[in-house]
Amino acid sequence: MITAALAMAFVGSLSYGKLPAPLAVPLSIGTGAALFIFGRHSHTDGRIPIDVMAQRSRLNTLNPTLKLAAALALIAVCIASANPYPGLLLTLAMPCIAIHGRTPKLRDYVQTIALPSAFIIIGGLALLFEVCGEPAGALNLRVFSIWLCVSPESQARTAVVVAKAFGASSCMITLGLTTPMPQLIGALRRLRCPDLIVDLMYLIYRYIFILLTLHTEMRDAARSRLGFRTYRTALRSTGDIYSNLLAASYRFASRNFDAMESRCYDSGIRFRESSRRATLPECLICAALFAIAVTLAIMPL
Amino acid sequence: MRPNDEVLRIENIGYRYHGAERPALNGVSVTVRRGERVAVLGSNGAGKSTFFLCCNGVLRPQSGRILLNGNAVGKTKREVYALRQAIGLVFQDPDNQIIAGTVESEIAFGPMNLKLPGDEVDSRVDSAISRLNLEQYRTSAPHYLSGGEKKRVAIADILAMEPQVILFDEPTASLDPLNVAAFERTLEELSNSGIAIVISTHDVDFAYRATDRAVVFANGAITADTSVESVFGDAAVLAAAGLRKPLLFEAAEILGLAVRPRTIEQLRRASLGES
Repeated sequence: MITAALAMAFVGSLSYGKLPAPLAVPLSIGTGAALFIFGRHSHTDGRIPIDVMAQRSRLNTLNPTLKLAAALALIAVCIASANPYPGLLLTLAMPCIAIHGRTPKLRDYVQTIALPSAFIIIGGLALLFEVCGEPAGALNLRVFSIWLCVSPESQARTAVVVAKAFGASSCMITLGLTTPMPQLIGALRRLRCPDLIVDLMYLIYRYIFILLTLHTEMRDAARSRLGFRTYRTALRSTGDIYSNLLAASYRFASRNFDAMESRCYDSGIRFRESSRRATLPECLICAALFAIAVTLAIMPL
Repeated sequence: MRPNDEVLRIENIGYRYHGAERPALNGVSVTVRRGERVAVLGSNGAGKSTFFLCCNGVLRPQSGRILLNGNAVGKTKREVYALRQAIGLVFQDPDNQIIAGTVESEIAFGPMNLKLPGDEVDSRVDSAISRLNLEQYRTSAPHYLSGGEKKRVAIADILAMEPQVILFDEPTASLDPLNVAAFERTLEELSNSGIAIVISTHDVDFAYRATDRAVVFANGAITADTSVESVFGDAAVLAAAGLRKPLLFEAAEILGLAVRPRTIEQLRRASLGES
């Protein structure tokens, strides 16, 4: 709800004086309403929604190295651009690509992007409003003895920064929603990422689920004994759970290492990473998207 | 000289954990032969898990020696890796064992560590997946599988290394009856293919049903190593190890049967006087 309210205020302030009121008002209300309706997240025990969606996406069979390289190239163009157009293109195109894989649905996509959106919008509001001694902008809000002003210059500057941030985030989220993490880590190895980092990523990915399951079990056990009955007991239970989790993860790591050694682990984690080769049409689609982004990036503001 | 079918011989090994008052293993000697099915019994802390870790080479015994196919296993990496490849260890909790993000890459972990060629790794992974009936989970993430499915992945992990002996640490703990039955079928197939099976368990009914020989541990030493019938017929050994008789074994005693049936069907036949 907070994200929705912030989004409404942000779009309203950004479009104030730039768009006619009959367009600006529905746009800001529509943005807030969409985030309010679709952006609410549900709690999932022992499962990470973005991981589940990536496992189910029809696009997870595409070559992960191509997807990663394309995403990184598009993010680079988006950030390097002096205008907001590549960012806008990616913000609109990425959800279309993601939902083309059947999973995620548009609702899931909005839910996933809602959290980073909150951070981007808060940053955008800070860029948009300037503190002035007297009314000096297109939009002026009095707060006690000072004025918060939105000037046309700050609107233009904010539009560029926020479009870049949304475009880059959309790229990352679409990559994450269509590519299971083991494939991404394998692609990073193929792109010459150091072995130590890749090995750590594999282990961290595995441990996220182990610790999440352990945490869920401990929390449920505490809850079943009224451990969360009052604020005070909840604080104590949470502290106990996290200290136990530390001890449990240490024991778990030790047994895990024994199990790895028992299968001839010496140094370096090696998995058989297989992925389908990138086809020519897939390469052409990525190249076309990149070319459009570059063309938009060099357009005058 | 060794009999042709002897795979693993443990001779008088001892192991004491750092700072422990008494040794976890003290003068333990066991021989495992091809295709044999052995139960390792004993109470908690009797030394069963330490024994398994020593057999597999994860822990190095501080005394005694280990012979693999008649050859003493030395301290070189090559010899230790040969032992780990030949003596597979399936851990009690599959989550302790599974580290990869997909079932097929998890199963390939061991063969990749053996530095086998890619085609050979693929062929071993395919074979293990087929034997454990995991085809539909090949590209699934192991953390989304059920307990029984994870257990099958853990067994496939070891099968892909083509071991001569598989050590199972508490394999039926946390499995439902259906999965226990499926596991027993898998054991039967593995044993028939010549792989020796060594199972550490507290489930005496399962041990009586699924194995032919029992090694009993108490306080880090072996108190009995003979047929399961002899072990469960020896009240002193059972009392020292904190074990009870299997229900079918006890039922046969109460009924005064000459034979000791392993299954309900055998008990029914024996009680009806059928051969």
